[in-house]
Amino acid sequence: MADHSVEAPLLTFDRVNKSYGRRADEPVLVDINLEVGRGELVAIIGPSGCGKSTLLNLMAGLTDVTSGSVRIADSGIRSAYVFQNPRLLPWRNVQANVEFSLEQVSMSGKDVRERATQALELVHLGQHRHRYPHELSGGMQQRAALARGLALDPGLLLLDEPFGSLDALTRGYLQEELLGIVRRFRTTTLLVTHDIDEALLLADRVAVMSSRPARIRRVFTLPFGTDRTSDQVIAHPDFLPLRTEIRELLRPEVEATDPGSASDT
Amino acid sequence: MLLAVVVLGLAWALIAPNYPSFVFPTPADVWASFTRALERGVWPEQVLATLGHLGSAFAIVLVVGLPLGILIGRSIIAEDLSRVVLVFFQTVPTVVLIALALAIYGISDESVIGVTVAGSVTYFLLNVIQGTRSIDRDLVDMARAYEASETTIMRSVVLPSVIPYFLAGARITLGVAWQITLFSEYLMGSQGIGFNVNTSIKLLDTATVFMWGLSVVALTLVVEYGLFRPVERRLTRHIRRA
Repeated sequence: MADHSVEAPLLTFDRVNKSYGRRADEPVLVDINLEVGRGELVAIIGPSGCGKSTLLNLMAGLTDVTSGSVRIADSGIRSAYVFQNPRLLPWRNVQANVEFSLEQVSMSGKDVRERATQALELVHLGQHRHRYPHELSGGMQQRAALARGLALDPGLLLLDEPFGSLDALTRGYLQEELLGIVRRFRTTTLLVTHDIDEALLLADRVAVMSSRPARIRRVFTLPFGTDRTSDQVIAHPDFLPLRTEIRELLRPEVEATDPGSASDT
Repeated sequence: MLLAVVVLGLAWALIAPNYPSFVFPTPADVWASFTRALERGVWPEQVLATLGHLGSAFAIVLVVGLPLGILIGRSIIAEDLSRVVLVFFQTVPTVVLIALALAIYGISDESVIGVTVAGSVTYFLLNVIQGTRSIDRDLVDMARAYEASETTIMRSVVLPSVIPYFLAGARITLGVAWQITLFSEYLMGSQGIGFNVNTSIKLLDTATVFMWGLSVVALTLVVEYGLFRPVERRLTRHIRRA
């Protein structure tokens, strides 16, 4: 098993095993070793239901490893988690939903309001900030959820298929937007996706996972450089060969997955 | 609504004179009873006494029931234990509660309030427990991921989720509590509307019994439209659909 180490990593998955079930007899993740450097964007790609989201839940402290360890080098780091579904509080308007993340760190009320407003401008929801979640489209709700994470100015960004529920056009714009933000602020990012193009467009490295129980099959380091646009990536001579290679690597894994069990854990 | 009231009132005015007043009093008899009770200060005094019983019992149910219901709703072990207690309170007849209260406290305000609490708290608890069960785990996880404290999760996620159930439970509980309070006052009160109904019927003053009955209807409407609806609207602003 390859050791995917980097110098002075911010995040470390060290021989992580995770099982569910009362007697921990349903393995989900097996022997996961992965390091993520500061400012790096690592995409984790794998078939639906393989346990990719569990990796993020472990990092966010929402669930515990069965064995091994998950480490974050900076203990005081602010992390933001953007889920597959928006998870907005229905009784708060958009502005107040974005403020929720900021309320959890010590900050003056004025700063909270200003930063939430800025984050909403960033995702083009400035005009809608007084509306309630049920008054927004799914795409707008997801953008509000993204703003809630970005408002924190996080040192670590956990993204769980954040664009999965959006239409292709909105997805394209938001991917560009996110790429710009992440590059500008050098935010360390762990992106879970099942979209090969999204991984290639956004990531510095791509970890390809097997179907359940999931192992890391290979980690690709992408040659596209840090300052890039989606057009540049697509025009790069390595783009198509990489895309094909990852796709071929995933093919048996996807075929091994029951198409009926599409939900991620 | 208004038309129905007018029709019923007319029918009453036409039919009642055919019977003796102690069987079926006329609207005029009832009105006279009302003005008499107002002039002597009996009406406001007794209404306040009943509202005092009802309000105290209702406040105790809300203050005790909300945290208790959330606690039970969030823990599985507590639910198994508490189910026995809940079933007990729900099935014990009010008459038995009244008998016990008479044995312990005698004829007093405490007896009335105690029986009302014991008889109505289950309706409220069951709603709060159900509300706590229905909380969206995804939202709690979201709050945890942003490092919200347990206090914050309680205040910002759990309580707002429970509000619709809290309101539904409060409404049912208030209806039940009205009945139990009046019934308890009738059997073991020293004051209040129920107590006055008891003394009036012993004197065959049926007009006054009617008067108190209509007073309760009016008070219920005032509480519903003057208090309950505005509070409900305020607490559920976000649910209103465009």
